[in-house]
Amino acid sequence: MAISLRNLSVDYSLPIGTAHALRDVSLDIQKGEMLGLVGESGSGKSTVAFALMGLLANNARVTSGTATIEGRRFDLTRPNATAPLRGRGMAMIFQDPMLSLNPVFTIGTQLIEVLRRRSPASDRKTRMAQAEDALAKVKLGNPKQRMEQYPHELSGGMRQRVVIAMALLSEPALLIADEPTTALDVTVEAQIMREIIGLRDRIGCAVLLITHSLGLVTEHCDRIAVLYAGERLESGSVRDVQRQPGHPYTRMLFDCEVPIDRERHADAAQNRFTVIAGELPDPRRRPPGCIFNGRCDVSFEDCAKVVPGDYPVAGNAAHAARCLRLVTP
Amino acid sequence: MTDAIAVHDAQLRFGQTVALEGVSVSVPQGTCFGIVGESGSGKTTLMRAMLGLQRLDAGEIRILGTPLQQGRAALTRRARIVQPIFQDPAASLSPRSRIRTLMNEVGTVLKEPHAATHERLLVILKRLGLPDSVIDKYPHEISGGQARRVAIARALLMKPSILIADEPTAGLDVSVQGDLLNLLQDIRRAQNITLVVISHNLAVVRLIAENAVVMRAGKVVEIGEVGALFGAPREAYTKELLAAWPSVTHAASV
Ligand SMILES: Nc1ncnc2c1ncn2[C@@H]1O[C@H](COP(=O)(O)OP(=O)(O)O)[C@@H](O)[C@H]1O
Ligand SMILES: Nc1ncnc2c1ncn2[C@@H]1O[C@H](COP(=O)(O)OP(=O)(O)O)[C@@H](O)[C@H]1O
Ligand SMILES: [Mg+2]
Ligand SMILES: [Mg+2]
Repeated sequence: MAISLRNLSVDYSLPIGTAHALRDVSLDIQKGEMLGLVGESGSGKSTVAFALMGLLANNARVTSGTATIEGRRFDLTRPNATAPLRGRGMAMIFQDPMLSLNPVFTIGTQLIEVLRRRSPASDRKTRMAQAEDALAKVKLGNPKQRMEQYPHELSGGMRQRVVIAMALLSEPALLIADEPTTALDVTVEAQIMREIIGLRDRIGCAVLLITHSLGLVTEHCDRIAVLYAGERLESGSVRDVQRQPGHPYTRMLFDCEVPIDRERHADAAQNRFTVIAGELPDPRRRPPGCIFNGRCDVSFEDCAKVVPGDYPVAGNAAHAARCLRLVTP
Repeated sequence: MTDAIAVHDAQLRFGQTVALEGVSVSVPQGTCFGIVGESGSGKTTLMRAMLGLQRLDAGEIRILGTPLQQGRAALTRRARIVQPIFQDPAASLSPRSRIRTLMNEVGTVLKEPHAATHERLLVILKRLGLPDSVIDKYPHEISGGQARRVAIARALLMKPSILIADEPTAGLDVSVQGDLLNLLQDIRRAQNITLVVISHNLAVVRLIAENAVVMRAGKVVEIGEVGALFGAPREAYTKELLAAWPSVTHAASV
């Protein structure tokens, strides 16, 4: 197991109370595997990434959680718990590449800095060659010339490639990509996803892909975890979860997706889009019972009272969902 | 029947940038027309030109058969026919005015008593699933989804026969985007409105529009009925866009 996250709980303190952003979230990612973490905005996806990276906002508090990364255990409730891994064991790609790039330094300087931190003994010439090589690997044209350029001289897609090159050079055990293609056009998105997969295959790292796009997950991920209002409602292989969602929320999320091959019906009334009515519950007050109860289309009496556990779906230990229906005859 | 919108050979440059080049599209009355293409392809510029907010270097645009005219009076007249829903509704609402003020402006344009505008507004809000209380809110006090509905409400208040929406669901979760799209479809059918939808979401356009255009670098790549455009694209670029679209496959086939 490359990465194992256990019982991560994070609170944010607000003037109007405490928001419980995550409650006992656990995730496992094997080496060379890509896990898709999905959920509506506000469900806590970025909080998972920030807690792992040690980048949480000042008003955040990790109240429980451990991460085991390549055999080393980190107590995430401690400040800077994973600091020894930053820039080496873990790398992160944000939606906005400028969060990873410094506008006042050239691309070359920034790539070389990554290498300097990684292997202080190597000489500048070797590093230059390695940096150029990394740019070529992520298919950025004219790598020699790019080394001299500043981030603002590149397009959004090109900047994201530079960030991937930086991650490549740091050879992480875990790569976290938080909505890495959300701001990009589809054709660029497809290219960037190819580069992320290329990186994973080159260094065999585990990848946590955070996205709201089930399309990206079904195309590229091995496993999926579904987050809702700070709780993991389902996890399993993409294939199993898509075939037989164990949680109504997962099924409803899949139903909302519009397949590109869905044809327009001559009768306009047939061209309807699926919706999940209702909103995320107030993060300050967890409703009793199942967290999804208020929006569920198949809930029954117990759902408002009993907090469900993680139950296997179809007897498959690697596929679990937090729904009482799985244990109700 | 005259087309709701007819753009003929539109040309426009911003300095060196070609924003529109030889663009011709026609939108039959009462239909939904989709405009797709990557960012910078000229979609918003074409929309602004259709609204008369952007002058062309050359070419002609007719709204219900009448050539677009510049000037304030023409703009006001046109506002009763074509209404935009801009991409960032929160930004197009003035931060210091309550929603009420924004709506009253519409009455002023229509030379309608405020009471009458208000009466119609209540009906529209109900239809859009917005609580009456939004009227007294400031733009920052409402959610992104609500801001979009407010923008639609304001547009509908003008009683337009044509609505042009720029990326109406951008940034919305897939769980709520359908709500807005269903709403646009319902309004369109109930009031026989011509709808132009700009979207980077090909799957959405395929479902809601009868016809669509694929744009790239200010030019029309391919245009036609959605069944043909998405089902049997002729241009390599259209095929490339469709192939790149990350789509969930039907559960039955996995
Ligand atoms: N710095 C913060 N202060 C207070 N609340 C926050 C902060 N950051 C995030 N939150 C809240 O925590 C929840 C989860 O947020 P986030 O992890 O950003 O979700 P996602 O990435 O899935 O959209 C949301 O309710 C959000 O409003
Ligand atoms: N006011 C403007 N001044 C200069 N260039 C502009 C202006 N508006 C748009 N452009 C340029 O015109 C092209 C088309 O832009 P736009 O219509 O906004 O594209 P889209 O909406 O398809 O993303 C882009 O290259 C853009 O940078
Ligand atoms: Mg996020
Ligand atoms: Mg635009």
